[in-house]
Amino acid sequence: MKRKFPILSLLTLTIIVIHCFACGLIMTKDPLYMDLVHCNEAPGKEFLFGTDTMGRDIFSMIWYGGRISLTIGFLATLLSTVLAVFVGSISGCAPARADGILMRLTELILSVPGLLLTVFLQAVFGRANVYSLSVVIGLTGWMSMAKVVRTEVLQLKNADYVLAAKCLGGGFFHVLFCHLAPNFFPSVLFMAIMNVRNAIVAESTLSFMGLGLPVETVSWGSMLSLSENALFSRSWWVILVPGVFLVGTLLCLTNLGNYMRGSTNKRHSNLGCEKKDKKNRKEI
Amino acid sequence: MDVLKVENLSVSFYRPEGEIEAVKNVSFSLREGEILAIMGETGCGKSVLCKSILKLLPDIAKRKAGHIYVRGEEITEYSEKQMQKLRGSFFSMVFQNPMTALHPCMSVGEQITEALRLRQPTLSKRERRQRAVELMELVGLDHPAERAKQYPSQLSGGMAQRCVIAIALAAEPAVLFADEATTALDVTVQAQILELFLELRNRMGMSIVLITHNPGVAALTADRVALMKYGEITGIGDVEEIFEKFGYNQNLISCG
Amino acid sequence: MKNLGIIRILYHAGKFLLSILVLSVFVFTISRLAPGDPLYAYYGERLEKMGTAEQEQARARLGLDEPIPVQYARWLQGALRGDFGISYQYKTDVKEVIAVRIGNTLLLGGLGFVLIFVLALLLGLFCAWREDRAVDRLICKIGTVTSCIPEFWLSLLLLLVFAVWLGWLPGSGAYSVGKERSLSDRALHLILPLAVVVLGHLWYYAFQVRNRLLEEVRADYVLLARMKGLSGKQVLRRHCLRSAMPSYLSMMAIAFPHILGGTYVVETVFSYPGIGTLAYESARYKDYNLLMVISLLTGIMVTFCSMLAQGINGRIDPRTRGSVTVGRGEADRL
Repeated sequence: MKRKFPILSLLTLTIIVIHCFACGLIMTKDPLYMDLVHCNEAPGKEFLFGTDTMGRDIFSMIWYGGRISLTIGFLATLLSTVLAVFVGSISGCAPARADGILMRLTELILSVPGLLLTVFLQAVFGRANVYSLSVVIGLTGWMSMAKVVRTEVLQLKNADYVLAAKCLGGGFFHVLFCHLAPNFFPSVLFMAIMNVRNAIVAESTLSFMGLGLPVETVSWGSMLSLSENALFSRSWWVILVPGVFLVGTLLCLTNLGNYMRGSTNKRHSNLGCEKKDKKNRKEI
Repeated sequence: MDVLKVENLSVSFYRPEGEIEAVKNVSFSLREGEILAIMGETGCGKSVLCKSILKLLPDIAKRKAGHIYVRGEEITEYSEKQMQKLRGSFFSMVFQNPMTALHPCMSVGEQITEALRLRQPTLSKRERRQRAVELMELVGLDHPAERAKQYPSQLSGGMAQRCVIAIALAAEPAVLFADEATTALDVTVQAQILELFLELRNRMGMSIVLITHNPGVAALTADRVALMKYGEITGIGDVEEIFEKFGYNQNLISCG
Repeated sequence: MKNLGIIRILYHAGKFLLSILVLSVFVFTISRLAPGDPLYAYYGERLEKMGTAEQEQARARLGLDEPIPVQYARWLQGALRGDFGISYQYKTDVKEVIAVRIGNTLLLGGLGFVLIFVLALLLGLFCAWREDRAVDRLICKIGTVTSCIPEFWLSLLLLLVFAVWLGWLPGSGAYSVGKERSLSDRALHLILPLAVVVLGHLWYYAFQVRNRLLEEVRADYVLLARMKGLSGKQVLRRHCLRSAMPSYLSMMAIAFPHILGGTYVVETVFSYPGIGTLAYESARYKDYNLLMVISLLTGIMVTFCSMLAQGINGRIDPRTRGSVTVGRGEADRL
């Protein structure tokens, strides 16, 4: 029942990431140059993925913009993970009352619709750029992870095997690295990968709605913000190409995250429906 | 005639790592109204043996060889549907941990009436409820009418196990399997449940297969004992005979 | 015992009100601290032609020149009387602006919720029943892919295919002009947004149901139920589902505001006149009064639903009902 390592996802993701960060070598055109002669051109030899409504080459923009989308995903996750581990650990270790207050607060922030919160914060930071957007997304994405961290900490704090390790003379760091981290790590890593995913979704959604990065700053989201015009002019490639890259990246991240989390179903079903599996029959 | 006869039964688990032989070439028979104890260490295949007779094993376990007869009729190749009929009427089983074996979200009475509904669909709702209360009384639960409305979490372990037995009895089985039925209970309750088994056998004349790792339990209750080790039956016979032969001394028995 | 119940209700009501109050302070302060001029929402382009003095005058008239605590106190006073002020952008009572739109959102979100509720349950059941077989694996794969598609892009995709290429379905609005009362026309406009709302959430919940059921299927009581003579399918439907239901219900209670909130993006893409587009506009143009009411509505719903979820967990599930003495001890601690 062991999960297979999602090698295909990892490979795809690696290729996308490498291409994005080495975009200077791949780009056939200047992604920022608005070639007004070649507006809305369908994919062809000169423009591999076509051009958008402003005459920019989509093939070059994909890699150039992907870099920004990925950077935002990474930076936002860094911030939210640090915040989540911080708040979660404090909440888990603090006395019940402080823990209660902290968790109430977390839930309160969680209850404000994410989009509204992001828009608010974005407004506080003024005009959006890559860093401010990362901070905003990071600030709005730590809550559910903090709750997970807190539960883990609480569970681990009282686990008997920690006590057993201490009785055997294990020091603080021994317990932390040999016993707590292995338990702690998969779920936090899973949440972190999911946070990267959510951050990329948030960036693209915000930029698409015109609340995030401006059209001039190329990212997958801001590329898609031109899609309203594209719908009218039926230039499908303006919508499809960045979207496919976006969804592909998200899918790879999800597969990786699910693998990290691992499967917990080790027992077998008691339902015992008569399975007519070829595999099982062969073994008899 | 034997109620249940098992011939050369072998069961294996097929895991990705390879085949694990859990039960090897096991043969035994069970007489009418007899209590047979299958005894052995943890992991020797007792439970698998019993579940494979009932075809309750997960999909990765397969019967490799052997035959199973019920009152002379072979059931080895019975389909799941046929087994369902058999399970609801001929066989029944009591499990190790009553707290997990009972459905946590259904009242005890409801769980018993469900078994009755399957077994005797002609009974009206009220008759079924009446019968459930009778069954609960039979297994020695106090205030059965009130208890029927309670949920498993509101019962003690002994009471819950009595309820599981009541469910098993609802089918009026000819053969009752008790898979470590007393292991999870404390000693006094254990003795009470074993007494209940004896009483039920005497009153209803059913055969009981008692699976246990505890020689004391076997000595107290069983007519015959089958010893199992590493998936094989190493000896089968009357209690005294087997205990003498395999050197279980009286001290060990009284410990249990 | 009866007194205890009243006290508990009062306690929860108090907690509820306090949460809403804190939320209102929070939203009020942040929205006012944020840069951007609410006058722009009121006057639009005309603002640029106004002089500084004129702007100050307008500001004073709308009560925007005072310190934030004073503004808040005044707002709260009005709010308690049921007066939430006027929308700067629509220049009418906020309540009216919302009343016009809320029906549309409730229709979209409510219908989406019901569909998700039913479909997730069915899909989860089916996958659990066919665990680890080809169908289940295929559905899981498809589900993972759909859960990775951002809602706005899914909307674009559906628009592209069904509205632009095939031209089968209308692409924007809640009804065609002049056909406000035609039911079939509304339904036609609802299909695409509804599809996005449902597809965007469905797999998450279906997967939860599936996993929950897979846990249940491994429990001992399944064997006992099969011992009674029930078939695997019957056990799954009657027993496992029943045991998974309380947690599903409480999960769906929490899901309700999230699904309703999820319509924000969809409404914007499809220009569907609902609260979502309104929220988006109000945040963008600093339409303070409108923003406050929308945030509070959302907050009230979220808090209410999460309390409902807690209630479901505590009451419906008999597992939490211990023996009588234990139960009382628990209640006292609350």
